[in-house]
Amino acid sequence: MSAQPSASRTPPIAGRRIRIKVKRADGPGKPSRWEEFEVQPEPNANIISVLQQIAANPVTAEGDHTSPVAWDSGCLEEVCGACTMVINGRVRQSCSCLIDDIAPAPGDVITLEPMEKFPVVRDLWVDRARLFHNLKRVKAWVPIDGTYSLGHGPTESAAQQAVRYVLSTCMSCGCCLEACPQFTLEDDETRWDTTFIGAHAISQARLFNMHETGRQTKADRLDALLGPGGVSDCGNAQNCVKVCPKEIPLTESIAAIGRATTLHAIAQWFSGR
Amino acid sequence: MSTRQGFLERRYFLLRRLHSLTGIVPIGLFLIMHLTTNSSIVWGMMNKRADHSAHAVSERGVATFQEEVNWINGLPAILLIEIVLWLSIAFHAVFGVYYARTGRFNTDRYRYQDNWRYMLQRITGYIALLFIFYHVATLRWGWSWLVPGGTTWDHAYASSTLAAALRGSADGNVTIGGVLVSLFYVLGVTSSVFHFANGLWTAAITWGITISVQAQRRWGMVCLGLGTGLMAMAWASIIGFATLDPRKAQIVEERMLGTHAPPAPEATPPPAESPPEP
Amino acid sequence: MMQHRVIVVGGGLAGLAATIRIAEAGLPVDLFSMVPVKRSHSVCAQGGINACNEVARQQGYSEYQHFDETVYGGDFLADQPPVLEMANFAPRVIDLLDRMGVPFNRTPEGRRDLRLFGGSLFKRTHFSGATTGQQLMYALDEQTRRYEAEGKVHKYEFWEFLWPVIIDGRCVGIVAQDMRTMQIRAFRADAVVIATGGCGLVFGKSTNSIMCTGGAAARCYQAGVWYANPEMIQVHPTAIPGADKCRLMSESARGEGGRVWVPRKKGDTRPPREIPEAERYYFLEERYPKYGNLVPRDIATREIFDICVSHGLGVGGERVVYLDLTHKDPDYLTRKLGGILEIYEKFVGEDPRKVPMKIFPAVHYSMGGLWTTYTRGRYNPPEPAPEHKAGMAPPVSCEPGAGIAQGAPDNMMTNIRGLYAFGEVNFAYHGANRLGANALLNCIFDGIYNGVSVVNFIRDDVPSRQPAESLPPAPFTDAVEREEAKVRRLIETARTGADAQLSPYQIGKELGDEMTAACTVVKSGPRLEQCLVRLDELKSRYTQVQLADAAAWSNQSVSYARAVGDMLILAEIIARASLMRRESRGAHYRTDFPDRHDDEFMKTTVCAFSAQGHDISYRPVDAGLVRPRARTYGKTEG
Repeated sequence: MSAQPSASRTPPIAGRRIRIKVKRADGPGKPSRWEEFEVQPEPNANIISVLQQIAANPVTAEGDHTSPVAWDSGCLEEVCGACTMVINGRVRQSCSCLIDDIAPAPGDVITLEPMEKFPVVRDLWVDRARLFHNLKRVKAWVPIDGTYSLGHGPTESAAQQAVRYVLSTCMSCGCCLEACPQFTLEDDETRWDTTFIGAHAISQARLFNMHETGRQTKADRLDALLGPGGVSDCGNAQNCVKVCPKEIPLTESIAAIGRATTLHAIAQWFSGR
Repeated sequence: MSTRQGFLERRYFLLRRLHSLTGIVPIGLFLIMHLTTNSSIVWGMMNKRADHSAHAVSERGVATFQEEVNWINGLPAILLIEIVLWLSIAFHAVFGVYYARTGRFNTDRYRYQDNWRYMLQRITGYIALLFIFYHVATLRWGWSWLVPGGTTWDHAYASSTLAAALRGSADGNVTIGGVLVSLFYVLGVTSSVFHFANGLWTAAITWGITISVQAQRRWGMVCLGLGTGLMAMAWASIIGFATLDPRKAQIVEERMLGTHAPPAPEATPPPAESPPEP
Repeated sequence: MMQHRVIVVGGGLAGLAATIRIAEAGLPVDLFSMVPVKRSHSVCAQGGINACNEVARQQGYSEYQHFDETVYGGDFLADQPPVLEMANFAPRVIDLLDRMGVPFNRTPEGRRDLRLFGGSLFKRTHFSGATTGQQLMYALDEQTRRYEAEGKVHKYEFWEFLWPVIIDGRCVGIVAQDMRTMQIRAFRADAVVIATGGCGLVFGKSTNSIMCTGGAAARCYQAGVWYANPEMIQVHPTAIPGADKCRLMSESARGEGGRVWVPRKKGDTRPPREIPEAERYYFLEERYPKYGNLVPRDIATREIFDICVSHGLGVGGERVVYLDLTHKDPDYLTRKLGGILEIYEKFVGEDPRKVPMKIFPAVHYSMGGLWTTYTRGRYNPPEPAPEHKAGMAPPVSCEPGAGIAQGAPDNMMTNIRGLYAFGEVNFAYHGANRLGANALLNCIFDGIYNGVSVVNFIRDDVPSRQPAESLPPAPFTDAVEREEAKVRRLIETARTGADAQLSPYQIGKELGDEMTAACTVVKSGPRLEQCLVRLDELKSRYTQVQLADAAAWSNQSVSYARAVGDMLILAEIIARASLMRRESRGAHYRTDFPDRHDDEFMKTTVCAFSAQGHDISYRPVDAGLVRPRARTYGKTEG
């Protein structure tokens, strides 16, 4: 199938050969190196299909045999978040990065790097355990009474559903953290609870605070966000919202939690806690 | 998190909010006042009330500024106000530097306007800190060894001694050192004003006053307007003082102190209040 | 006292639902997944989840009719009692998800909104935008994280299941490998729940995620678990063909009014919007006036295939047809289908609100899977009932236990005691074809309803007398050694300048191409025979597979090469069972046997692995609740 190129796109040249520069490392703490591959992308190819080509025939542009590049991937339709990497200097999902868009001419070069805010497992594959850990910090769940049949959930206005739905499309890909100047690599797990939690978790706290049942643990979530590494560590660079592939209004979430924590702290102060 | 936390951890939120608050009150508020006062060297030219001690239009600026300085110096508990201000600045600076050091700039990769401002906020913070220290040390604490030409500021001779510092010599001749000081002043006040205006914008997000993108944009326009106004005052002040001849200014000041003989009557234009000769 | 433990393999909807239910009952769960569980393939499900609801009920619909539709949609190949239980329990699943905070779309009054889906004339599909699977996944992921934070669940993410440890027909643990460190370890458990989903990658490009190789199911099969109905592979009618995979274009696009058409004139090169209404061939609407674009998937798929392949009417002569939403209000579309329209826009570069989408069928779901059993419930009619029509009183109430006995330890247990199969990996609910929006239901129903069976098995059955912890270590260490030897053998094949023809990636690709050509929409005896010859050739090449990576750390080639071996096994039973089922039923369509033969083939294909090969036999279908009838969906002849 050949898609009509959209107006903004330079028409890609069929049969062209392009170069893929990959920043590789054999494991955590191992030195990194660059390897370059030359590939002929299929029409409508994305980064994944190019990496698959390289895996099937791992020979560098110089003709040296090497090992297949390791990378993380899953759904390949930008809904699981696994294949996030830094492409031409910008963090994004590699599945939805079309070669025709970013390398339309012969000889174009695409650079692939692992996310730098998470420890490398190997090559482009990083360990984002901290990201999930941070969801625990803000108790990102609705505290239900268990899975027994206890009737339906709270009714909700269509307008509120629309807000919650968007917040709930966060796939924990980590783009917001990679682009955030306040979120830095932290190998030491013991420091995870006191270093910046990141936009995604703050936004999830907002999501659950908005839910009628979720609201019951609102104070816990806000308490977690008052401490070191909480919402006040946000530096308002607002990169998060610009790189979020799901266009989640992360900066609005940060501001909303800013308001909630302000009110919460004042209430706490006056209630003597 | 462990239950045994240090003061910083337990009071983290309070400290962060105090950091934000001190930037606005008193520091930001003082900045507005201070720039208003200083820019009187320019807007004072339109101040007809200053005519009793000034004769030329340019002299009105000097006179107005002197009046402002006198008024401030006449405030009750001025030292207390100053100490509160210094402590606020010290607190804001110490924590600001500490917080700034937790981030890593990445404008090389994410070239968004907001990200540039994030970086500038921190850089201007460092510059402003240096500048304010220099400014207070030389003009308030009299560390004249830091001033080219070795002049000291005297609140009774507010304009002339300031002009001397900016020009780099007591006699008002412009020296290289003076040019450097003036440029440093331009950089310093520009940084301070940016830091304040941008900080005011982010504070509204931090405190949760502006939540929606639209609200943030609207408040951004307000901060931009305020910043532009302050910037105009700041630059006007520097230009005003740097282009002022300290000797001429001193004449006005001495006249206001009553230590200088009034100039010959013929040189004096008639006071505006007095009706023209019938 | 010894601590009982449960292992759940797979962190998709079924695995997480089981984890939550079992952890809630007080049994610690070790949860294994090749990916961080939040990234499981269930997130790809788009359209919705079926359940009878108050509005449909007052229009004459019922849980029982949902059951009838599912059995009819599955062409009477499913054992009926579990299907009845699932349909009856469905509204409780929705309520539970609602309580967990799933942002279901809402009506103006704030109630859960509903949409139309294939195989039904009633709105009975609950949805959350067009990313319902993702939203349900996240709700379960959050609850799992809650139990993890409480120490009741331990996650082993980036761990690959390698083998079930089976002693005397009882599963007592698993062997798994850390995909990062490559460490291989045995884990003991009193029950193991396999919830590893489908096997789309056997067909190369499918709508499935990259880890859906069917490897776990194939390993269980080789360890002695029966595999049922492997030939029943659902090909989704509407997918976006791509270089790396085929991306699903949800059935909800048709549920919300999408129309499928091609230009009437062969080779019409005009842009779609310039083709007047009269010159468009809405072939599904014309051929199936009653269900129109919402015929079940196997039918839509075959019709699209027929239009493109047999009639050469595909758009531009290619194998694509239009799926057209351009007559709908763009804002409405964004609200109801935003997620999937974005996918199309991102991957094709055109706005489906303005230009009809170009789609073609792609392998999507495996109705077959590990064989499981159950204990029949209280509803045992003397005679199977005739077709259920709207408005008729259901013959049975929907209290739990009508279809299968609630909490019976053998519900969804395989032929190996203590080894359960939940979700897509089992064969239990969809017969020969799955109706849209029944998969999510199936997964969560298994976890929530049958999770209790796992708990009861541990409390009342063998484990209570002989906990896995008390067993001697030898079988576990032996199993680890066997797996280590397999890995060693694969790594030893690694060399620089490996033969590209012997690369696992090349073998995998050829396998996919062959299986897609021979075992999907249209099958025939001769082609299947040819396919089996081809599979033999690939198998012999696989014995000489050569890796290009000898690393002892995070070696993805090892994992993939191992999976290729497993996919070859699955491919073989898929092709063999397809060849042996000399009839057409549901998704299985044989050109040489185009009719359904209930006498001979209303039976479950059961494959058992042995050293000699695959032992394929048939077991009767439990069709005691509804009498089989012709499955036509009101097709008009001509």
